[in-house]
Amino acid sequence: MSTFNEQVMHQQALCSALEIIINKALSLNEQGTEDLTRLSQKTLTIILEELGFPLSFSVYTSSKNNQILVTTISQSADCTIKTSIKTLIQLQKEKKLTELIKQDKLDIDGDIKTAQGFASLAESIDIDWQSEVARHIGDIPTYKLSQLLDKLCSKLSFAAKQITADASEWLVHEKRLVVTRSQIMHFNSQVDVLSRQTNDLAKRIDQLTNLMAETTQNKKPHE
Amino acid sequence: MFIPFGKTTINLLIGRGCSKLSTIIVISEVKMSGQDQKPQKNDSENTTHFGYKTVEKTDKASMVAGVFHSVAQQYDVMNDLMSFGVHRLWKRFTIDASGVRPGNTVLDLAGGTGDLTAKFSKLVGRDGKVVLADINSSMLNVGRDKLRDKGLVQNIEYVQANAESLPFEENTFDIVTIAFGLRNVTDKDKALRSIYSVLKPGGRLLILEFSKPEHELVNKAYDFYSFNILPKIGQIVAKDGDSYQYLAESIRMHPDQETLKGMMENAGFEQTTYKNLTGGVVALHKGYKF
Ligand SMILES: C[S@@+](CC[C@H](N)C(=O)[O-])C[C@H]1O[C@@H](n2cnc3c(N)ncnc32)[C@H](O)[C@@H]1O
Repeated sequence: MSTFNEQVMHQQALCSALEIIINKALSLNEQGTEDLTRLSQKTLTIILEELGFPLSFSVYTSSKNNQILVTTISQSADCTIKTSIKTLIQLQKEKKLTELIKQDKLDIDGDIKTAQGFASLAESIDIDWQSEVARHIGDIPTYKLSQLLDKLCSKLSFAAKQITADASEWLVHEKRLVVTRSQIMHFNSQVDVLSRQTNDLAKRIDQLTNLMAETTQNKKPHE
Repeated sequence: MFIPFGKTTINLLIGRGCSKLSTIIVISEVKMSGQDQKPQKNDSENTTHFGYKTVEKTDKASMVAGVFHSVAQQYDVMNDLMSFGVHRLWKRFTIDASGVRPGNTVLDLAGGTGDLTAKFSKLVGRDGKVVLADINSSMLNVGRDKLRDKGLVQNIEYVQANAESLPFEENTFDIVTIAFGLRNVTDKDKALRSIYSVLKPGGRLLILEFSKPEHELVNKAYDFYSFNILPKIGQIVAKDGDSYQYLAESIRMHPDQETLKGMMENAGFEQTTYKNLTGGVVALHKGYKF
């Protein structure tokens, strides 16, 4: 039996969103074309501790378009990096790669050139997101949007802390969400009523259509 | 709306022995021509369901063909509209579960307008191959035009074929997928055996299909949606309420998760599993040939 997490397909939703963002960024970044061609058919897999599933980035190039495909398939990677978001932030700040590898905080397996290729591609992407968004929706909405995103992020991290801090309370919340038998019966009967109403409405629309057709036909000889 | 039931004639590349993948006739211009289907005596062995109707087995294929000829042009728009775009996630889930690698040979059976083919084609790369097979010429034509427009030409072949008797040599494919296609097939057991035979040892079949929602609430809401809303959207957008009524009925007539799993095992598949998606509205079954 599948878990709820699998059912909501959050992994696929994330891959889809990443694919859209990355390819939009690539399309705005002409300098990256050479890097992309060099990486053609190569796959980099990143396994982040916090995510619990692999993220694979495969490069597809053709005469018509170049693209990075994001999947959760890890078997065909040319290079696999195992790490955590925490370590990545550390790496960005301190740039002590070998030290992090020695501390087992980061593991690279496979063709290191692929990883370097992807890194140089990522570095070449130099887009001012705020002005890009502003071009489409204007300055003030963009400002509001970034404020909203900031607030959302802090709320989310607060929620995450709360959930881990008190799992038992979380369970109580979950329990309250469970529907009772009588609620199901009530819902079912409401759906039946709605179903009858929709049919009635459809009938009335049919009658109206017929009436309109008749009226137009009756009008014709006078025209 | 008029669906030319019983009148549609299709020339199928079926049951003519197995051909090597490299020698399969690739249809570049799919045309309709005579079909040698003879209606048989009406006894229960010779009848099957078409949605909620009972019809002659020999008629079902052409009736299904009628539906898909009718919806082909609007198919992609309707898919997005009816599933609120979620079908894209279901398909992504299928690709991820397939474990496809560069160099693989993939059969996208009942592939229709080629959503899975497009993704597979990019992932198998220049050394791989994807065959988009469908019984219906209109769906294949729409699919081929769409993929060509996207510049996907290198590693894709188009074959008009019936899932029940696939025109490929044994042990040809690493992966076979059939997305939202199996419920339309007349003899599903025969189709599963045929798929098993064309898979390589170690190869896998993935069946993405509407199934039985796990929760009563979802089931009820889904029933309401499929029978009250869906045919009406079909009527308004595609001017074809009858076809969408058939789609809703055929979903209800399709075997549930456990039954389909059993059917796969009967056909020889091993390590058979399934995952419910969106509360079991859709399920992805997977099985291996060893
Ligand atoms: C609902 S569409 C699915 C198309 C595509 N796989 C997708 O997911 O978008 C079902 C397809 O199954 C095809 N089909 C129906 N019966 C078939 C059969 N016996 N053999 C092969 N294809 C069949 C139809 O022509 C149609 O294109």
